[in-house]
Amino acid sequence: MTFKINNLSLKIADTHVCNDLNIEIKPGEFWAILGVNGVGKSTLLHHIINVDNAIPNEISIDNTPLPHFKRYRKQLAKKTGILLQDYEYNFPCTVLEAALIGRHPYLNQWQWENTEDINITENALNQTHLNHLKHRLTDTLSGGEKRRLNIATLLTQNPDYLLLDEPTNHLDLNAQITILNLLENHIKENNKSGIMVIHDANLANRYCDNVLMLFGHGEWAAGSVKKMINIENLERLYNCKIECLSSENQTVFVAS
Amino acid sequence: MNVLIGNGTALEQTLVYELRLPRTLIAFCTGAMLSIAGVLMQVLLRNPLADPYVLGVSGGASFAALISMLLGFSAIFIVGGAFLGALFSIFLVFIFANGKGGWTINRLLLTGVVLAAGWYSLISFLLVLSPPDKVHGMLFWLMGDLSYDRPLLPGFVILVIGFLLTIPLNPKLNVMIWGERQASSLGIDTQRLRLNIFFISSLLTAGAVSLAGGIGFVGLVVPHFVRLFVGNEHRILVPASALTGAILLILADMVARTAFAPIQVPVGVITAFIGVPLFLILLRRST
Repeated sequence: MTFKINNLSLKIADTHVCNDLNIEIKPGEFWAILGVNGVGKSTLLHHIINVDNAIPNEISIDNTPLPHFKRYRKQLAKKTGILLQDYEYNFPCTVLEAALIGRHPYLNQWQWENTEDINITENALNQTHLNHLKHRLTDTLSGGEKRRLNIATLLTQNPDYLLLDEPTNHLDLNAQITILNLLENHIKENNKSGIMVIHDANLANRYCDNVLMLFGHGEWAAGSVKKMINIENLERLYNCKIECLSSENQTVFVAS
Repeated sequence: MNVLIGNGTALEQTLVYELRLPRTLIAFCTGAMLSIAGVLMQVLLRNPLADPYVLGVSGGASFAALISMLLGFSAIFIVGGAFLGALFSIFLVFIFANGKGGWTINRLLLTGVVLAAGWYSLISFLLVLSPPDKVHGMLFWLMGDLSYDRPLLPGFVILVIGFLLTIPLNPKLNVMIWGERQASSLGIDTQRLRLNIFFISSLLTAGAVSLAGGIGFVGLVVPHFVRLFVGNEHRILVPASALTGAILLILADMVARTAFAPIQVPVGVITAFIGVPLFLILLRRST
């Protein structure tokens, strides 16, 4: 039961995202992907679940090469799910309706959502503290509530591998911690795997076990956060001077 | 009613069976086609304010229909010509929107809008060149008109085919409104779905325009209105919109026939009379 990336070289337009990337993500592991803007973090995340672009053997999920899922897309959607950076809110929907779409992979062509599907969805809304808003329209939600709704949809989908594209984007400090605690608990308690693109190396340090660093020009490095998150690597990653500040409880890295 | 169940004089029989009934059925069929096409186009462009004509399908249909009228063809050739014009216009949009880098909503929309503008300038050109005795009929056609005699069966066939083809798509539309990436991550083949939506909505629009000309607002207002009541569950929204659109157009046609009798007003004028204020009110009430 692993998510394996084997010798993946990815070049999109002028961006050389990675060269011969090899990583293996196991159940219960929470990974971070770090790198500067435009280095291709999101691109990589989208690419690794895109059945239409994948080449055999480069990416495999539970020992099945990704292109195999081209004809079994719903099966893939039960294994991997993604939290996108942005969603479209053009059609007014209630919060419950919006999260319920996470059940789509579990329903066949002619099936309607039943009470069990609704229970699963309400459970996800409870976990994200949104159940009291379930009849509200999505366009009346705040930024933090919308992000929690996106996560509730992903929890409803309940994939084994959660790909998270900047889950803390646009959120205040308290909301950031709330959401990352929630994701961490979900991953650890249910033995899921998380792969998260994030800009805050300190949050990655605090919540993740492993990190993949994309340095640009296809260069990359991966390993445990303890080994990888240090002044030297962060300076190379962000191309600026980094300082390390320590208190009793934690160590943080800041630009100096 | 009395006449329908077999009573009434011969004149009444003729009136109902040969004039009123076909006209009502055409209104039913056109209203339903426009409304389903409207729902589909709104999902395709991810914009609840899109309508079936936004990609210029009606422009191609109108141009071809007007040429057929100018050449003095009979009703069946006008309808057939309009249908071919609509298909040609769909084909053009499809080819041009699929440029380098694939298909984006903006490129699709811009291609459609520009082609529509092109068609309408050709139509104006045609109207200027046409003999005055034909212009009246042509204008009626452009405004959307149910008054003249035309074949009924092809419209119904297209409606039934379009409706049946939409049924398996409906649950996917519920997911598609959240964007293609989200839909794709939930197990939907979005490229295929997009093409299906495009071709089914275009087919229905082509059917509607060929039958009844450019009847405006039905495809825009009806899905929007029905959405207020049934939400975004497309398995309900699509049939409910079809039914609402059909009824709306039948009522509008009754008004068009009787309100200014003996003058008959094109039904497209009436749908705009109803549609514009209704739409403005809905828009003001939404957040």
